[in-house]
Amino acid sequence: MPEILSFSRNICTVVEQIRDDLMTSSCRLQDTLMDAYVKISVKIPDLEINGIEGKLERSFSGEKIDVEEAFNKIMGTRVGPGIRKIIRGFIGNSATEKQLAFMVEECCSGLILSFTKDQMKKIPKDPEKARHFFENLVRENPRLYKGCAALSPGSPLVDNIKFD
Amino acid sequence: MLTFTRNKLVSVWRKDDDTLSAHGILEDDIYSLEIDVSLSLSQLEILSIAGKWNRAENSECRRAIPFLQEAVGFKMGEGFTQRVQKLIGRKSCRHLADMLLVCCYSARDTAQVIRWEAEKEKRPDLGLVEVLSEQRISSSGPIKDSQISSGKPLKRGAGDLPLSKKAMIRGEMIIDLHVHTSPASPCSSASVGELIEEAKRIGLDGICLTDHNYVWAAAEVERLREKHDFLILRGNEITTDQGDVLVFGLEKEIKGIIALKELRQEVLKAGGFMILAHPFRGFLTFGVGQLGLTVEKAMERPLFEFVDAVEILNSKVTEKENRFASEVAEGLNLQVTGGSDAHAVSGVGIYATRFSDRIDNEIDLIRALKKGNYVPVAFREGMKKRS
Repeated sequence: MPEILSFSRNICTVVEQIRDDLMTSSCRLQDTLMDAYVKISVKIPDLEINGIEGKLERSFSGEKIDVEEAFNKIMGTRVGPGIRKIIRGFIGNSATEKQLAFMVEECCSGLILSFTKDQMKKIPKDPEKARHFFENLVRENPRLYKGCAALSPGSPLVDNIKFD
Repeated sequence: MLTFTRNKLVSVWRKDDDTLSAHGILEDDIYSLEIDVSLSLSQLEILSIAGKWNRAENSECRRAIPFLQEAVGFKMGEGFTQRVQKLIGRKSCRHLADMLLVCCYSARDTAQVIRWEAEKEKRPDLGLVEVLSEQRISSSGPIKDSQISSGKPLKRGAGDLPLSKKAMIRGEMIIDLHVHTSPASPCSSASVGELIEEAKRIGLDGICLTDHNYVWAAAEVERLREKHDFLILRGNEITTDQGDVLVFGLEKEIKGIIALKELRQEVLKAGGFMILAHPFRGFLTFGVGQLGLTVEKAMERPLFEFVDAVEILNSKVTEKENRFASEVAEGLNLQVTGGSDAHAVSGVGIYATRFSDRIDNEIDLIRALKKGNYVPVAFREGMKKRS
């Protein structure tokens, strides 16, 4: 059987610092069935969504979605833990709406990761110092412990940490 | 200026009559990874997974790769996303889990395209829209329009539980106002029986079951109280557009996400009480300085107008976040509470609330909450010091 592609999906997320008190995060999804764009504006430091827009350029699902209406419900929501549940709860259940919700989530993840990136720049190059860095990070943020394989028992990054 | 970019690319092809192969690549400022997944076309079941890091946040991210195998055998359908996020996201890595999901969803959409192409051979005029519509109608019922099902305000007698023997001889009561049980809260690993026994063992006077968007039946709680001879109260942790809120005295079952304002109206009608749970969870992970969030600025957030109290001791947030919540609540002159937010047996009672009033039942609890004679306490820590 020739290995010709049956389906292709591209998702590109970009985060931009507009002003000291404003950031935007946009996501473009293009695949065999759909082409859509979502952009959120977020107030700093609250990380509150104060603007959201989107466009469905192409969709083979045949659904007619009022993108604006679907998005209005999440205005004022804060980007942070629990946002996924809120987005999924507010932006419909149809296939297209689920995809739009996923794109909003991508925007939110990108935004959070842009801050993570700044933190990562502080990791020392020396392996032992780097280990201490992560150890302190987990001590200060206990919910990171057992949150992934790298920060679970057995990993040298958390060897010296014991939570009740 | 651009501060972050992330690209995800998934390609899917048909390996044989019943096998789809998906190759996913994630490239962003922090991570670079690849995933290869095979799924059966007929069942959309994961047959094999291989993963690879090219760049990662730290040297130990490689430990995540073997755990991917735990998703082999998963079938796409009800609960699939949650299962992958919970199992692979926590044991392995959430970026690998997310990418695995993108690959699987792409494979599912590929299956639709393949079915359309097969149908087209029999019905050349058939469009993809028609095929997708037919599949949608056959595979899903009407969309449940979330929110509130019918119910009535809490009346005296509902969950009217006798006081535990121990509490009766004390002048005050210490109650953990925030615990989660399994299976009512899918994120919890502790059964209600285990939690109650642990709460008794460590000397709490009562616990409040606050499972996510789940209303315990009063009769079931009564049965538990009798069985364990312990004060068990009912609450509910409800997800709103402004975050999680602990609600007491509302019998209505809230499904899905509700606007905080709307929830406030319901709780006021029912004569209940609302506590904003872990209000700054995740706010300070990157440091207050980095985002410039101050107590004064946080106090301006309108959500505080719609709650009666703020949870300022919660074991799932950092000390800084608890401290920050405390300062904001103080600035706004709001009542403050403590609760463990336990999702495992070992978590119950880490934090709790000490009430000056006697609490025999849910009516007493709401009365006491409204009266305000209580303080949050670090219960387990205090227990260690006492012993």
